[in-house]
Amino acid sequence: MSKVTTINKAISEHVKDGDFLFIGGYICRTPYAAIHEIIRQGKKDLTVTRSNAADDFDMLIGAGAVKRFIATFLSLGFFGLGRCYRRSLEKGIPHKIEVEEYTNLSLPTMLMAGAMGMPFAPVRDMAGSDLMKVKSFMGDNKYKVIESPFDGAPTVLVPALNPDVAIIHVQQSDETGNAQIWGIGGDCQHGANAAKKVIVCCERIVSRDIIGKDPSRTIVPDYKVAAVVEEPFGAHPGYTPGFYDTDFKFGNVYKTASSTEDGFKRFLDEWVYGVKNRNEYIQHYIKSYGYASFKKLEAEFDYGYPVSYSY
Amino acid sequence: MAAKQLDGYIKPELMACCGAREIQENDIVLVGTGFPTMAANIAKHTHAPNARLMQESGVYDARPKRPALSVGDPCLNPGAAMIGGLMDIMGMGLQAGNVDVGFLSGSQVDKFGNINTTCIGDYENPKSRLPGSGGANPIGSLVKRVLIIALHDTRRLAEKVDFITTPGYIDGPGAREKHGLPPGTGPHVIITNKAVMRFDKSTGEAYLDTYHPDTTVEEVVKSTPWDLKVSPDVRETEPPTEDELRVLREVLDPKRMISAYISRGYV
Repeated sequence: MSKVTTINKAISEHVKDGDFLFIGGYICRTPYAAIHEIIRQGKKDLTVTRSNAADDFDMLIGAGAVKRFIATFLSLGFFGLGRCYRRSLEKGIPHKIEVEEYTNLSLPTMLMAGAMGMPFAPVRDMAGSDLMKVKSFMGDNKYKVIESPFDGAPTVLVPALNPDVAIIHVQQSDETGNAQIWGIGGDCQHGANAAKKVIVCCERIVSRDIIGKDPSRTIVPDYKVAAVVEEPFGAHPGYTPGFYDTDFKFGNVYKTASSTEDGFKRFLDEWVYGVKNRNEYIQHYIKSYGYASFKKLEAEFDYGYPVSYSY
Repeated sequence: MAAKQLDGYIKPELMACCGAREIQENDIVLVGTGFPTMAANIAKHTHAPNARLMQESGVYDARPKRPALSVGDPCLNPGAAMIGGLMDIMGMGLQAGNVDVGFLSGSQVDKFGNINTTCIGDYENPKSRLPGSGGANPIGSLVKRVLIIALHDTRRLAEKVDFITTPGYIDGPGAREKHGLPPGTGPHVIITNKAVMRFDKSTGEAYLDTYHPDTTVEEVVKSTPWDLKVSPDVRETEPPTEDELRVLREVLDPKRMISAYISRGYV
């Protein structure tokens, strides 16, 4: 049964105020189209997580959608610190979010445990650091230290995470949600499979036969998926391997805008509230920066080596 | 002794070369962006051709056509030997004990090589909120040799960091082991814009090993907020060799993106 829908319907039907969301992407394949729709629909009190958060989380925090953040990191990368994140934690603007801090080893391990139905998992980092001293909304369940039952060594355990919804952006999916990626994965596969249901945004919807040409690329099987949305250019200003490059110029636009409260509001008015959907966003981009700018982001056409699964 | 001017190179280039010299043939190196990538690649093109790089985002042995601007940069994808996700690199690579060298930088670094990338001031009410650990804590916890890049002044270096995001020798010898961190791991060197500092294993403290050609021992000691011990063999940092500069300027970074670090205080 086809699960193809629009981003508007996918978010309104599957994301509720107060939900716990995993949002995939690692500079690579960030689901910006969905992020903007969450903001447009005024979702609030969300708990959000991903290893290495960036502009997208900063924007959700600045827009007031986030209550809690299970974090490892948030920055604008090349463009420095997350301005909205700082305003929230330093000045309570628009409100102070609660942050539970882990690392890029412990958090993906917690998502992996969640994806595999494990109750918790041991990790070999965090020990001896002040990350062990600060606890937020997870309280004493942030972690436990035990003596390993096998050799008595001090061992840090972290809990499994099972988000209500995962939102990911992938290269291609079929109509039922078998979702395929190539290139840098971040914690996307474990985060998606840890969630109770998944919203798949993709550059293109392909047939089940095409998925079957290279099934090793599927990171989420369709039984996990609640909605499939075709959203070309949906990860802009991030990139999608094989489709388009990172838009550094736009990264700078966000950095400059988000440096002040007013600038950030104007950014949302122009790029989020001022457009109804990704199509209008692309049209607005082309109007603002020219078709040549848009076209320049397009990836070179360079197919990989075709694989054979025959026997 | 009066300090000299740098002769025909800029400070970020010298620092990248200092990093490169810490990398040995066959090392597996977990890198971030900027200096680390350039340092590791200088090593690869000079004395350590079989050193191999990985990025936490999921990349092993990338062959980028331009310097990567982030650990998730598009240019890392085509040509890599392996691409997976975080658990492939941070789990099966790093946690399993396969990584020799990790590069880290911090807003604040203390004498035990502890690094703060979380907050300046009180955690609950920070004066300045920084990005957080990301991959830094596990890299600092689990690689054999941590190479730390820092700015050298009494604000960036500290007797004690405001927040230990990434453990160095914590509060002295034996502390890492007591907390269960693997033996044979920890900070190896701090490379700053003024000096190269190494660690005295008997105290866990960083001491001055070499000072850069445009500074002096006295100036380095004065710019360090702890009672910096000076190696009896202290000497001037070797300037970049012609070969190192050729690789950096002609092969790795023809657009001289490294000069951007000058505006970030690396002078």
